[in-house]
Amino acid sequence: MRVSLRSVLDVVRRVAGMPDYDAYTEHLRVCHPERPVPTEREFFESYLQSRYGDGPTRCC
Amino acid sequence: MLSRLAWALIALAGAAAWGVLALHRGETINAAWLVLAAVGTYLVAFRFYSRFLADRVMGVNDRRATPAERLTNGRDFVPTPRWVLFGHHFAAIAGAGPLVGPVLAAQFGYLPGTIWIVFGVVVAGAVQDFVILFASMRRDGKSLGQMAKEETGPFAGLLAMVAVLAIMVILLAVLALVVVNALKDSPWGVFTILCTIPIAVLMGFWMKVWRPGKTVEASLGGVALLMLALVAGRHVAESPSIAPYFTWSGLTIAYAVIAYGFVASVLPVWMLLCPRDYLSTFMKVGTILLLALGILLVMPALQMPAFTRFVDGTGPVFAGKLFPFAFITIACGAISGFHALVASGTTPKMLVRESDARFIGYGGMLMESFVALMALCAAAQLDPGVYLAINAPHAPLGGNAQAAAEVIRGWGFTVTPATITSLAAEVGETTLLGRSGGAPSLAVGMAQILSGAFGRGLMALWYHFAIMFEALFILTTVDTGTRVGRFMLQELAGHVWRPLGRTSWYPSTLLASGLVVAAWGYFLVQGVLDPLGGINSLWPLFGISNQLLAAVALSVGTTIIIKSGKARYAWVTLVPLAWVLATTLTAGWQKIFAADPRLGFLAHRALVGEQIASGAMSAARGARLTFNDGLDATVTAAFMIATLLVLAASAREWVLVLTRQKPAAAKESPFVETAYAG
Repeated sequence: MRVSLRSVLDVVRRVAGMPDYDAYTEHLRVCHPERPVPTEREFFESYLQSRYGDGPTRCC
Repeated sequence: MLSRLAWALIALAGAAAWGVLALHRGETINAAWLVLAAVGTYLVAFRFYSRFLADRVMGVNDRRATPAERLTNGRDFVPTPRWVLFGHHFAAIAGAGPLVGPVLAAQFGYLPGTIWIVFGVVVAGAVQDFVILFASMRRDGKSLGQMAKEETGPFAGLLAMVAVLAIMVILLAVLALVVVNALKDSPWGVFTILCTIPIAVLMGFWMKVWRPGKTVEASLGGVALLMLALVAGRHVAESPSIAPYFTWSGLTIAYAVIAYGFVASVLPVWMLLCPRDYLSTFMKVGTILLLALGILLVMPALQMPAFTRFVDGTGPVFAGKLFPFAFITIACGAISGFHALVASGTTPKMLVRESDARFIGYGGMLMESFVALMALCAAAQLDPGVYLAINAPHAPLGGNAQAAAEVIRGWGFTVTPATITSLAAEVGETTLLGRSGGAPSLAVGMAQILSGAFGRGLMALWYHFAIMFEALFILTTVDTGTRVGRFMLQELAGHVWRPLGRTSWYPSTLLASGLVVAAWGYFLVQGVLDPLGGINSLWPLFGISNQLLAAVALSVGTTIIIKSGKARYAWVTLVPLAWVLATTLTAGWQKIFAADPRLGFLAHRALVGEQIASGAMSAARGARLTFNDGLDATVTAAFMIATLLVLAASAREWVLVLTRQKPAAAKESPFVETAYAG
């Protein structure tokens, strides 16, 4: 049950284009172990910058 | 063999439903036939035509690594499962467009809109979305403007960028006008929508300050508060002492929306924009699912005839004949140029494998077409007299139900004054007359369907739920759109004077935001003051600009197909391009030059001139209307010329490649074999 609730929330997160901190730290750990891991707060700020930095994200 | 049989049955069922629609000559027809015809057509088109596009025309190759795989960074380049990405892409492309356009076009009857929505998407809209998504995926997620620049030249790229900015201004103005017409003199609606601002700020602090990054829990709390605000709105509207504070005129709401757009554009995104973005995504996806469920459960009978007498161009909702105006009034839902911006934005960076582009690009647009069809059903199941009472502008209807019923009888539809007033009371409003813009009639239709499916007696709550859902995501488009417009303007201004291009420099931010807001705010205020309700002139302007952007996208798509050495298949984008150009340029020409002052901007301008001369209109008011007619005509002409220039630049490339003066080489990112197991 815990697994399925998590996967439902995961779908919700991705559909709305929300950031996924766990996935990002996992990516860093596997692919770039030399880089420092940002805090969740820092990660959220860089996400906001990249999502709303430029270009339209929504339609009419 | 079994699957062939199944496909033959699906095709037959769809064809039979079209046959019923074509031959039916009764009083009413059930919406089930529309849904069946549409779904049958979608399935066949997706299975056969989109596979042809993917395999033969674009050459999908699942051995080729996608940008999400090659450039994965855990943030924007993220390999995403196809169903999840489908939801994300759909939430990004579907907005107010597919809900408003079909409702307005219902003045021609239900059949023209249905045919254009279903066949338009299959051969035009979904093709455009898929081709642009695929092209962007092959180019590391480049934007439409960048692709136009690389494949066609810097001039076309710059033109495309200016055109996008101009279209954005018109889009924001007309969408804001839809909200104004839905909320004016409606304390319930105004209160609920005002509540969304503190709710969003609260969510913002939650995600940023108190529990950094916890976006899901903040959003769930936000949605709960939103429902609370909706219920509380009823008590506000029913309280004689509080209601007057939230009963705002159209003009007041217009200025409030303008102020909101400016503030949202200069505030940090986490405070207002990002939380509202999440809220409106959830509301949108949730409500659309609910509406689909409601229509399937209720299967309403359509009261609207297949064709109304207004196909001759005398319709009160907007002027112009069936051809070409049905095809620009319904833009989103059949083909929408704006999608080319989304299809070349976040989605191409998230595809796991190339073949997913077919399901997400083509399939996502089919889904939006289905939303448009549901909006059409919701409007067409209304009594035509009621539909006209809500959607026709104030000027011809007169101020009260008695006069309106008389006017509508003159148009050949019967509706009693009592029906008009009791319906308004049932949904918790003082009046529904003259609320042109599509949102209120859709909300009434939705309220009837949803209360029919999920319990009667809640009409008022469902109506305001629908209004809140529409206003919420329209205002989210207004704030994100203003911000994007600000960035574009800053980038353009940066070419003139360097510091203006720095998006983090506060004076430049304030200036650019102010200019963008002033631009759409001007059109909005003029729309509110317009005696014909503004939707009359602004919606066609939006439709024309959106379809011309589609023409630009299809030109870019054709260039890419020809340069990839697939010129023999270029008809897949050339045919829709020809149709879109034919309808849109005709509509643009008529909007500027038609002799009927209801239709042509210049003829209306001449009429105003006569009225000033004869003293029938004050000079100040006349001067304003004269200026606006000239402005609208100029903007329309500028869109048409810009599109033709992009087309000419593209056609030059086509000829050069086809006559072998230029090599057939598209600028794709190099091939890298995928590491994923087949």
